[in-house]
Amino acid sequence: MEFLTANIAPIMFAGLVVFLLLGYPVAFALAANGIFFGLVGIELGLLQPSLFQALPERLWGVMSNETLLAVPFFTFMGLILERSGMAEDLLDTIGQLFGPLRGGLAFAVIFVGALLAATTGVVAASVISMGLISLPIMLRYGYDRRLASGVIAASGTLAQIIPPSLVLIIMADQLGKSVGDMYAGAFIPGITLASLYVLYIVGVTIFKPAWVPALPPEARKLGEPNGSSGTPSFVVIFVLAVIAGALFDRFYYVPKYVDVPLDERLVIAAGAGAAFALAAAMVNRAFKLGLLSRLAEQVVFVLIPPLALIFLVLGTIFLGWATPTEGGAMGATGALVMALSRGRLSLKLTRQAMESTARLSTFVVFILIGARVFSLTFYGVNGHVWVEHLLTSLPGGQLGFLIVVNLLVFVLAFFLDYFELAFIVVPLLGPVAEKLGIDPIWFGVLLALNMQTSFMHPPFGFALFYLRSVAPSRDFMDKVTGKRTAPVTTAQIYWGAIPFVIIQLIMVSLLIAFPQMSLVYKTDLPKGDPDKAFEIPVEAPAAGNAADDIMKDLGGKNDDAGAEPATGKSAEEQAAEDLQKQFGGK
Amino acid sequence: MQGLLKLSRLIDAINDRIGNWVSWLILVMVLVSTGNAIIRKTLNMSSNAWLELQWYLFSAVFLLAAGYTLLKNAHVRIDVVSGRFSARGQTWIDIFGTVFFLMPMSIAFLYLSWKVFVRTYTQHEISGSAGGLVMWPARLLVPVGFFLLTAQGFSELIKRVAFLTGHGPDPVPRGDTRAAEAELAEEIRKHAEGKA
Repeated sequence: MEFLTANIAPIMFAGLVVFLLLGYPVAFALAANGIFFGLVGIELGLLQPSLFQALPERLWGVMSNETLLAVPFFTFMGLILERSGMAEDLLDTIGQLFGPLRGGLAFAVIFVGALLAATTGVVAASVISMGLISLPIMLRYGYDRRLASGVIAASGTLAQIIPPSLVLIIMADQLGKSVGDMYAGAFIPGITLASLYVLYIVGVTIFKPAWVPALPPEARKLGEPNGSSGTPSFVVIFVLAVIAGALFDRFYYVPKYVDVPLDERLVIAAGAGAAFALAAAMVNRAFKLGLLSRLAEQVVFVLIPPLALIFLVLGTIFLGWATPTEGGAMGATGALVMALSRGRLSLKLTRQAMESTARLSTFVVFILIGARVFSLTFYGVNGHVWVEHLLTSLPGGQLGFLIVVNLLVFVLAFFLDYFELAFIVVPLLGPVAEKLGIDPIWFGVLLALNMQTSFMHPPFGFALFYLRSVAPSRDFMDKVTGKRTAPVTTAQIYWGAIPFVIIQLIMVSLLIAFPQMSLVYKTDLPKGDPDKAFEIPVEAPAAGNAADDIMKDLGGKNDDAGAEPATGKSAEEQAAEDLQKQFGGK
Repeated sequence: MQGLLKLSRLIDAINDRIGNWVSWLILVMVLVSTGNAIIRKTLNMSSNAWLELQWYLFSAVFLLAAGYTLLKNAHVRIDVVSGRFSARGQTWIDIFGTVFFLMPMSIAFLYLSWKVFVRTYTQHEISGSAGGLVMWPARLLVPVGFFLLTAQGFSELIKRVAFLTGHGPDPVPRGDTRAAEAELAEEIRKHAEGKA
């Protein structure tokens, strides 16, 4: 009995593992674990008998948490978008644009993957569209099968890390930070990761050119009647659009002599450039001027819908017009309007999307509810103190902690999906990270990057699973060439993913080495700008020690109740030191 | 057994219907939230009641659809271990989980939240923010939602016992559970072929 009393936190944690592995729905297993050990704790006199009276208020906290609204909004948006045909049109056209280059189709897949990722956060849709549209073309013209499937799976998972992604929203919520900051912190790492993919393909074009051949001339559907590719025309319109954006910025903002934040100017200038390109393409088409090549015209037209959605979802946040949640709702409305205008929105599709959204958001919220029941007891028996001791006693301070935690999450991601990780594991790690002086945004982006691998590692990765479901698994007759083409084997899909998982881990290490990539959010945010409609609000922290987190958010120096004063102090000094280092001693 | 199975079918039908209805609230939420952002930007006004309505609606979705989600077997599981068991083995796990995991949680929430609802209702509590909504409808959603979940748990239990005793079919479709993705792939394939 004494043993139980002294070690109830580790025993409870071990019990959780057993409960979860039984294979009953996670949400209820979590809650049952909390209730069971709560009763044990009350019996042992460790907990107040009134413990469970707190449950309704915990649930109320989940209900009134506006950040969670992002879950249904983005899910619904993704479901509508995946049926709207936007991804297919993009892949078709961008494939034509890059196709003539060696490795061009792979670049097109990465580019479209990143673009779709910036529109919404749905991995399945990207991977399935790419597997159906780009993979057959890649196979037809002799791409290496492993590389082709790897690049498709990896580009599809970019949706996880490039804002607006659900992982980042949930991470921000669980770490008690603002979603806008989390987006700003994920931006550079997300783009860098996509660039690393590009770099890898560039390497392949140099060292293994046979893996990534250019499209032969007969495969270029959007060429000009006279045989030219139409690419120069696109370059011209692109440069003109950039100039138009820059000029607009100059004449719109400079006369006012106000210091408008850079992100706002960028959004407006990009919008002006895109509007210019669209106008040019429309005038060209309407009056049959022939000034633009077919390719250029087509590229402009397919790029407008995703850019418009990106503006609705992200642009409005950075302009301060909408909260991140409202951005999701506007994106969903935009997707509805787009699907409607393309004649792809039916009552059946809408109902299906709504019902899937209802089911998915229900199970997500219930995992959170289960996690809150678990944490009520776990924090009650000082489980968080136990976790903290365990992790702060690791050798190597910040670095040691980050390495261990990332390895842990990498392994756990084989078994748990990111909602489970975010709701169960992150609330335990977050406070420890903060105590060690690790910036929560940096930490959150790191974990999000790491969890992205869970979509890609064989054999459980979802992206691989989706790709498997659409890649040809038997010999098939190619419709264009009429040749018998070999299938893509499951082993090829698995092997193809491995280089990209490695790139991913390199990216995690890079971000550990260069936290500045995520810390731009600190300098980026306009401070006290009176012209702004409102500041992006700091979302209410959801972690158990909410008050504690708020104090830290506000830069307060409260002594942590759970830790010995000595550790608390040295951690704080450490934090101050690190901040100074990061900002060059300013 | 037959009487119980009839009851189970009734519960299933009710939760299915409720799930289909509350799904529409997703669309309403999207429009309300979009409207809030646009009106605040263009007319420069904002109302706490409309902001609160967003999460009232979402709470209605996930609480009232809890039973429906259980009916559709859409609550995620970790099936690394249990995935290797036979259908009967998995059914035993479900029976155990329903009795010892789902029911205690669901009944605890039902009981505790009902008391809170009664308090909120009799004291006419209104949310703290200016111009906020009355709170009891949202408070009422909790016991109603957990009642539906408990009922669905009971129905799942009946179906599984019926399966084990040979009175009914296997209630869980085994094998390919990712029908939605397959359907999407089919649609994109058709679209792509239509174009080519």
